[in-house]
Amino acid sequence: MSRLRAEGLTLGYDAEPIVRDLDVTVLDGKVTAIVGANACGKSTLLRGLARLLRPRAGNVLLDGKAMAGLSTLDVAKVLGLLPQSPLAPDGITVADLVSRGRYPHQGWFRTWNDRDHDAVARALDATGTADLVNRPLRQLSGGQRQRVWIAMALAQDTDLLLLDEPTTFLDINHQVELLRLLRTLNAQAGKTIVAVLHDINLASRYCDHIIAMADGAIVAEGAPRDVITAELIAKVFGLACVIVPDPVAGTPIIVPAD
Amino acid sequence: MTATATRTSAATAATLRATRRHRAVRAFTATTGLTAAVAALFVLTMMVGSFRLTAGEVVTSVLHLADNPSVDFVVRGLRLPTALSALTVGLALGASGTVFQQLLRNPLASPDFVGITSGASLAAVSGIVLFQVGGLTVCALALGGAIAAAVVMYLLAWRDGVSGYRFILIGIGVAVFFEGLTGYMLIKAELFEARQAMHWLTGSVGQASDDELKLLGGALVVLLPLAVLLSRKLRVLELGDDTARALGSRVEITRAALLATAVLLVALAVSVAGPIVFVALVAGPIANRLLGPATGGIAAAALVGAMLLLTADLVAVHLLPTPLPTGVVTGAVGAPYLLWLLATTNRRGAGG
Repeated sequence: MSRLRAEGLTLGYDAEPIVRDLDVTVLDGKVTAIVGANACGKSTLLRGLARLLRPRAGNVLLDGKAMAGLSTLDVAKVLGLLPQSPLAPDGITVADLVSRGRYPHQGWFRTWNDRDHDAVARALDATGTADLVNRPLRQLSGGQRQRVWIAMALAQDTDLLLLDEPTTFLDINHQVELLRLLRTLNAQAGKTIVAVLHDINLASRYCDHIIAMADGAIVAEGAPRDVITAELIAKVFGLACVIVPDPVAGTPIIVPAD
Repeated sequence: MTATATRTSAATAATLRATRRHRAVRAFTATTGLTAAVAALFVLTMMVGSFRLTAGEVVTSVLHLADNPSVDFVVRGLRLPTALSALTVGLALGASGTVFQQLLRNPLASPDFVGITSGASLAAVSGIVLFQVGGLTVCALALGGAIAAAVVMYLLAWRDGVSGYRFILIGIGVAVFFEGLTGYMLIKAELFEARQAMHWLTGSVGQASDDELKLLGGALVVLLPLAVLLSRKLRVLELGDDTARALGSRVEITRAALLATAVLLVALAVSVAGPIVFVALVAGPIANRLLGPATGGIAAAALVGAMLLLTADLVAVHLLPTPLPTGVVTGAVGAPYLLWLLATTNRRGAGG
């Protein structure tokens, strides 16, 4: 059974729904990428899965129960999300920020214990940010900052982790580094990961499963090698292309056609 | 992976522990120091004046440890109400200001600027000018005006939730509108009422009655611990609504609770002392300087507020050739800070 899925999910902000009547199953223990053109509803779907948007119709189910009926704190112990542009107060240090990820595990009066401490230390280690603990977030490079945010989400200690465009403002080196980090988290900690990604080539290389969206609907899903075809890319992005195998991993690579 | 990832987690845990210990020590030292400074200033304001007293005389009289009619008259009768007023109003303004700034994620979002103080002023001045009321009635009107202004702003800013930015813009608009109406009231007023209204508008800790002080004191006993308790939730709200929701915070209800607490604090402070400007604006940033960046200690900010107001009162009443209302002194000190804040936030490109 899959821990996170959606049934007949319709989502939107204003009058017109953006995502219509979607059935989605997030595969446990896998890294899934949601891809698609701008404004196709991929971030909206992710926000819906993370209960940041109330469904217009349908349900998001966590461990078989409708998420709308669960306490938001209980959900936060199982499901973490890193939004596209999280905000940080001016001057905040890395240690302070990552520690705030422990919020769902703390009560009104019980503020900090060894479990919190260990979780934060593990999150810092896993993301390679342990040397930065006393640095202000503002002074870090884009790649370091993104790893710190992921450490914050990891400190939340959830089995499922959703990320909204985690690579968007990073250069290629840091994009690859971040996707490798997600793979490591999946392999070592067994986390189920869903990320909205823009780069199909990187998504194919580093993810187990791809969900391709267009106009608020899922047009294809499956392993990258099965899903990424020239027809699909034409349909989703309107781009004529040739698919070639990655010389290192054999995963599909998109090359624009003449 | 990189060299950093090969660190042992024991080393990380040790670093983290040291960091936390350092922060805790710093917070404790700063808070203790502030408490001592506030206590010292509290006693000092009651020592100076035309009838000079020793610290011992003041403390024994305040605590009813000895009876000395002449000292008791000066301390309990004349100076204690003003000192208590400066203390409680300062605490309330400091706590309220820092909650506003953190909640709305903007160092300029002090209740002075977002229409709450001007709502109180309009209600108070209208009462004085139109109905010739005074004392507790003015206090009640100011309280009502501040709360009404906050509710109006909250409703106007609501669109699937309240965003900090919209709240600030609407607050500034509401403030200007209320100030215009207050000016109109003053023009329509008779000379005596206009003078009274102007005196109220300058803000002074010397005008509080015993009943008002009891009300503010009682409210502080409830609201300050509540604000400190809610600050844990504020730490998460600061990361943006999406992150806060993902971390399991019920964003709207938490924000409403924090806003209500902060609004009540500032409304009570303004109703007791009139609009004392800039204390709410500077208390939070000063507390952060002492505790470390982004620590947002509400208790520390409250203490800084009390310290500032006690100092301002000392300066206003005793150090200047002619005694001035407290609000004039806080304004004279606060305005340059505001300019500096505007200049530096814009330079960093974080003015929004």
